[in-house]
Amino acid sequence: MPRLSRSEWYDLTRDMNWDLSYVSEDEAFPPVLSNSFGVPAHDWWVWDEPYKITYTEYVHNQAGKDAGVYSVNNVLNRSHIFDNLEPGWKAAVIAHYGAIAVAEYQAGIGEARMGRFGRAAAWRNMATFGTLDETRHGQLQTYIPYQALAKEPRLDWAHKAYHTNEWGIIAARHLFDDMFTANDAVSTAIQLTFTFETGFTNLQFLGMAADAMKAGDFDFGALIASIQTDEARHAQQGEPTIKVLVKAGKADVAQNLLDRMFWRAWKIFALLTGLSMDYYTPVENRTHSFKEFMEEFINKQFIDTFRDFGLEKPWYWDQLLNEMNWVHHAYHIGVYFWRPTVWWNPVAGVSPAEREWLEEKYPGWNESFGKYWDVMGDNVRNGHPELTLPETFPMVCNSCQVPVCTPAGYAAGYLDSPLPHILDFEGRRYTFCSEPCQWVFEQDPEQFKGHLSIIDRFLGGVIQPATIPGALEYMGLSPEECGVDGTDYAWAGPVIPAEKSA
Amino acid sequence: MATTKRKPPKTWSLLGDVKRRPSTYEVTAAKFNYHFRREPAPFEMDPAAPINLWYLANREGSPFNVEDWEGFRDPARMTYSDYVTVQHDRETYLDAVIDHHEAADSVTGLDPAWVEALTRIAVPLRFPLHILQMTALYVAQMAPSAYIINCSNFQAADEMRRVQRLAYLTKMLANAHGDAIAETATARSPWEEDAAWQPMRRMLEKMLAVYDWGQAFAVLDLVVKPTIDELVNVQLAALAERNGDDLLAQLLAEFHLDAQRSKDWTIALAQYALASDPALADTLREWVDEWIPAVDETAEAWAALLATAPNALPSGQVVEAAGRARAELLAACGL
Ligand SMILES: [Fe+2]
Ligand SMILES: [Fe+2]
Repeated sequence: MPRLSRSEWYDLTRDMNWDLSYVSEDEAFPPVLSNSFGVPAHDWWVWDEPYKITYTEYVHNQAGKDAGVYSVNNVLNRSHIFDNLEPGWKAAVIAHYGAIAVAEYQAGIGEARMGRFGRAAAWRNMATFGTLDETRHGQLQTYIPYQALAKEPRLDWAHKAYHTNEWGIIAARHLFDDMFTANDAVSTAIQLTFTFETGFTNLQFLGMAADAMKAGDFDFGALIASIQTDEARHAQQGEPTIKVLVKAGKADVAQNLLDRMFWRAWKIFALLTGLSMDYYTPVENRTHSFKEFMEEFINKQFIDTFRDFGLEKPWYWDQLLNEMNWVHHAYHIGVYFWRPTVWWNPVAGVSPAEREWLEEKYPGWNESFGKYWDVMGDNVRNGHPELTLPETFPMVCNSCQVPVCTPAGYAAGYLDSPLPHILDFEGRRYTFCSEPCQWVFEQDPEQFKGHLSIIDRFLGGVIQPATIPGALEYMGLSPEECGVDGTDYAWAGPVIPAEKSA
Repeated sequence: MATTKRKPPKTWSLLGDVKRRPSTYEVTAAKFNYHFRREPAPFEMDPAAPINLWYLANREGSPFNVEDWEGFRDPARMTYSDYVTVQHDRETYLDAVIDHHEAADSVTGLDPAWVEALTRIAVPLRFPLHILQMTALYVAQMAPSAYIINCSNFQAADEMRRVQRLAYLTKMLANAHGDAIAETATARSPWEEDAAWQPMRRMLEKMLAVYDWGQAFAVLDLVVKPTIDELVNVQLAALAERNGDDLLAQLLAEFHLDAQRSKDWTIALAQYALASDPALADTLREWVDEWIPAVDETAEAWAALLATAPNALPSGQVVEAAGRARAELLAACGL
């Protein structure tokens, strides 16, 4: 081992900040890819990453980590473990791979943007590691489902999803493009690495890693635990970026970037993680409810993190706390009901034991959301499962791109009105699911205003024919790919023989 | 349980009806870059959002485009896992090289005149080499397929590797010959001010402002980097050897392996593009020609700097070698 410890020479690996002479600052750092928010060039040079690592350490660590994950997969591959997973857990895993695998690879583009357009050499180095990390995450999370593709053809969506216009993928793409692929370097540091990775991937990855181990899916558990160690490292690019902004008197800029992305991330996490934690993970394996996870990781730990930097919780905090009680329950009903429009097989997750758990975690659940399931259960038991399927499409939010669920929030007693939020802007009418979603849009209309939601496309003639089969085809879902009930309606209990129910 | 009953797929559906089973390298890269030529715009934003327009102009709109970029392959076929595994071994080797020289205390024994030359020549290098890292990441974020993106990302990491080992060496020199060698100003002042460094700095700063993805690839990988790699990895190494500095020579020889990997994919990409559309030879050639005066000037200034060292190389050799390295690369590309 070389004799000098890292701290003795590390500064020499990251002091490559100099004054440009032959091109202007805007020529070398165009604002569209690197918004300085008016902070002078030299003020960025103090950017100091909390977590230090050298190239040598990186390749030594990562080679070992990769060998570990790939060898777990090889052992498990032979044991056909995927065949033995519970249907709910399968739904969670298949949804995860579709929404996350290629998106992680794309996060590498966001990291490369910071690696080129970050405003300090130290930052660019950290982002270079981040670029490699995200390459790893994209490749691991496609390689592993690929091994099980023959057993479960739905895993094709780990690769295919981002090429489709499936509605959940439109929502995910809209979020992630705004967050990193179509974002500038400074905003990316705050919105991807700080808000999303420090705040939310903890929730997705730590939460799901714990649940995976309990569900017996060691493959998935080992995978995401390993990924999380990389995330924890490169997520730390946000903190020094915030410090530079705050020091330059731009705390409001950092706060605004945080608030916008925090809300956006919340909506997609409620959709993906909310359903996985509270409905898809087998009830005996659940470690926390989604709401408890949010309270622990986001509301306590994450708030403390940004308070340390002089930032405050977002202005819409009460609305967030309010939605934590109900929005993912509404999403779950929506996803189940519109299950042909998703690439996994949703499970209802409302057997008597599960309802008991839901009632305990969300007092009043039986009286509010439970009633919808009572009706669907009756239809199934009476031999009419087709009545649990949709004939029309819901309204979709022009910000988060998720169906507007305000009527369910209203019916459950959490909202004062069932109506969506409406904005007329430059001659077009926009619909939002919530006040913060409208606010997000209004913060940067140039980024969003010309975008068409899937319902705008449906109503505007982009989707032809404008029928449910036409829309499913537009979403990239062949008839055999459309989601079906993951348990063949076992949750509803036995079908009542026709003569008795008549 | 509603297990999907379908004919087991051979591979990802987007890869079509493949004859040969795709490799791990391919199934973890093919068609990952979903936003290239996506309609109505690359990203799921307003199609006229500024960054959509940036990509439409500089990527989709680049003159350096072919019908299908997905057919390109890295000759090394490297996945992330391959990259860190290979480099883990190479770094283990470099650790051993340094161990050997630390045990022998060889840096202390260097001729003070050579140390003085190193301070002027090798110590500031981390600035230009860092710009090669930055530009490789630009090419990566703009490239049309993941196969290309991965090559350029690994190249950027290689540049960081080179910077870091030179940083370590700088600290070794400082410990043996005076703390000033490791001060930022010792590297930055010549980089910013000395005449010898200005042609290189001018060239690299201007390269930072090249945003067409194909042009950025051509300028970095066909002209600038091969020249700098020859000047640093080969010519400086030769000079180090003449001055009994085996440590530096060994480090540089190692970096040249990385540079060779970059050349391999660069040649493969140029050949792939030219095979798809022979007219692209003119496009690339035009970009290359435009930058040749700047690299020539850089090579001359660098040669003059090397000539100030003890046991200097025969004059003319350095410039000639840089020109030859570039010409060989271009010829291999079919340009
Ligand atoms: Fe990641
Ligand atoms: Fe919304």
